Amino acid sequence: MRIESLLRAGCALLLASLLAPGAAWPQTRNRAEGFDALPKNARLVVMPIDIELFSISGGGVLEPKADWTDAASKHLKAALDAKEKSLDVTAVELSEKDADEFDEINALHGAIARSIALHHFGPSMYRLPTKDGKLDWSMGEPVRAIRDRTGADYALFTWIRDSYASTERQIANVAIAILSLGRVIPLGGVQSGYASLVDLTTGRVLWFNALARISGDLREAGKAGETLDKLLENFPDSK
Amino acid sequence: MKRALLALPILLLAGCAAVTKIAPGETTVGERLVVKLDGAWNQINVQNMRPAQLWTMEGIYVDQFRLYSGIKDGQAIHPTGGNASQKSFNFRSNMQPDEIAGLFEGMLTRDGSRFTLARLEPVAFGGLPGFRLEYALIRKADNVQLSGVGYFAVSRGELFAILYMAPRLAFFQRHVGQVEQIARSAQVKE
Amino acid sequence: MKRREFLAAGCACGTLLAGAAAGAEWQMPARLARPELATEEGGLWAMMDRAEVQLRRSPFTLRDPKLHDYVQDIACRLGAAHCPDIRVYLVQTPLFNANMAPNGMMQVWTGLMLRVDNEAQLAAVIGHEIGHYLARHTLEHLRDVKSRSAFGQFLGLFGAAGAVGQLALLASAFAYSRDQEREADQIGVVLMRGAGYDPAEAGKVWDNLLLEIQAKPGGDPSRNPMFATHPSEEERRETLLRVAATAPGGVNNEDAWQQQTAPFRRQWLKDEVKRGQHEESLALLTRLIVHSPTRPEYFYARGEVYRSRAGDKDLDSALADYQSAIGLGGEPPETHRGLGLIQRQRMHAAEAKESFRRYLDAMPDAPDGPLIKSYLELLAQ
Repeated sequence: MRIESLLRAGCALLLASLLAPGAAWPQTRNRAEGFDALPKNARLVVMPIDIELFSISGGGVLEPKADWTDAASKHLKAALDAKEKSLDVTAVELSEKDADEFDEINALHGAIARSIALHHFGPSMYRLPTKDGKLDWSMGEPVRAIRDRTGADYALFTWIRDSYASTERQIANVAIAILSLGRVIPLGGVQSGYASLVDLTTGRVLWFNALARISGDLREAGKAGETLDKLLENFPDSK
Repeated sequence: MKRALLALPILLLAGCAAVTKIAPGETTVGERLVVKLDGAWNQINVQNMRPAQLWTMEGIYVDQFRLYSGIKDGQAIHPTGGNASQKSFNFRSNMQPDEIAGLFEGMLTRDGSRFTLARLEPVAFGGLPGFRLEYALIRKADNVQLSGVGYFAVSRGELFAILYMAPRLAFFQRHVGQVEQIARSAQVKE
Repeated sequence: MKRREFLAAGCACGTLLAGAAAGAEWQMPARLARPELATEEGGLWAMMDRAEVQLRRSPFTLRDPKLHDYVQDIACRLGAAHCPDIRVYLVQTPLFNANMAPNGMMQVWTGLMLRVDNEAQLAAVIGHEIGHYLARHTLEHLRDVKSRSAFGQFLGLFGAAGAVGQLALLASAFAYSRDQEREADQIGVVLMRGAGYDPAEAGKVWDNLLLEIQAKPGGDPSRNPMFATHPSEEERRETLLRVAATAPGGVNNEDAWQQQTAPFRRQWLKDEVKRGQHEESLALLTRLIVHSPTRPEYFYARGEVYRSRAGDKDLDSALADYQSAIGLGGEPPETHRGLGLIQRQRMHAAEAKESFRRYLDAMPDAPDGPLIKSYLELLAQ
């Protein structure tokens, strides 16, 4: 799948993210009104990370790379575990198999996350006036099914799509830049994703961060940590 | 992207505001459809939702409120000029309620989404004899399961309709009350 | 051509037939081991695994345990020693398609199950797909980056299970080669015989599909998901029939198949009619009627297609089909609705009233009951 067709396909998350400033948001942007911090020893379930890494071939074709994805998954998981410890929350495990049960909630969360990424973190012309500039989305009581099953009070959803230019593509990119005398800066690869913290009693999205940038590398542990830090920038402390 | 979002609205990116606020009170859709809102809605300026107007409360990937005003005989209920080999869903003035329901079902399932009719009943809409539709839709693009409701009437050979859909978990119940109230308030002007 | 002569010579080797290399006997390979993740193959395997998770969770997957186990059992007997590696998923999409990924995940679409007459015909298609799996054709093919990308999309990484929107991409980027097709056909027949099925049924399946597609004006086989990845060739039918002739015998288990799929037939017919592909549906339904002339649901479904197309003589054809369904008895209640709607349109009030009454009596909880009731009331005035 070509990047251009990916964009044409209405992948507004990617596009909107690219057009957005991409700088760090003020803390208030990431948090629902009235939410400040997690209670100490809050029980947090990390939903299975939804991640896919691609290579971009010379011709601009996106190709899924399973070994990179596998490595990135592991790096992210390790970084999340470390984060949880530093936050003083109690981690609750959820296997992929158990997650099957919550697929409808998961699919719904995906749609909400896309909505938030576009209408809250995207360019200002997509803001929804009725939301009044606030992070004000809730999945409602259906999320209690996750709470009842896992014993957790909060859930963290993460989603990442990342692409890396192959060597041929990098060479091609340099050639394009030179030939256009610097007018065209082709994309080497784009990292986009989100992290979302949901209250498993009310269904409210308490905290959300959207990530979009043209740097970062999830394929290596050290650099993956950097990506995760960016993703979880402004994540609430526990009190 | 996790899923091909082909079925979902592609936003106009150039120039002016993509989203405008519809304030509470009376508002006219097209030339002949007047509705009264108790609360504000967000109107989204989109390419591929015409001839419908598109409103939303939670964002386009979550809930969609489509309003059709004055669709003429032979007019498609979706944008045309795209894939020539794809079937076109055109309104005809002599369509019966069951045929109009079938028309919208066809349009909603063009992308492989799965439609199930829950209820189809005669009801006054816009001050005219019309009908009401309740349905379930499993969206192909991202597997989200939606509930939907629609109101339809034909006046002077033109179609007037409002169609609301939102995820069946939590969201549909949250806003459908407003939609039903808007439906009750609707007037088709002569 | 060597192969044709070989086959025409009436190979006496029974179930062992030539593989891709003329003269070499095809033997069932050992079970495929999961490759290292960092290898190309391993990467593909992992990609399939993720697609499988989505398939497992998809609301489009048909989860009826009895039907699933029945089809899984057929696949298992065909796969013989590879049975433990084959995992069947039934997908609710009204198109003829089946597909097996290198990690053992197999999709069977409901459109395929509607179209086959018996177990042997399903076995022909599943066996063919297992053939691609055993001969590792998909892997061979996925060495090309474009194919990988296309296949990934097809499997559901970029779209939900049963996606129909990527046909053009498939045709150009992913079709199996003719040699691969021939090999899969041959392995499929060997597997069929091994499981006791009659290989003569194999030729019929592809024939029927081609006929259906060609019924549509300008019908292009490459736009069908099955043909997009499996280019059809003329010699295929001859090859399959000739191969079958060399090893006659075997069952088709039509009774078992019809019995197991009966509870789902009406829904699958409904999905087929909803496609709105009138010519294809008419060709399919006419064939099904010829094969099973006493099924009221086939007549009802064809009536619905005629009524939907509403061309010159179509309404008359629809009426005739509805009446045939009723004549057979056990007709779907919706038959009377269809009848009533045409009668209403033609202003045959008395008949329309009678039809609507019968519909509402037979199906008091019909979702469109209130609307039909209002039609009835208007007619009564």
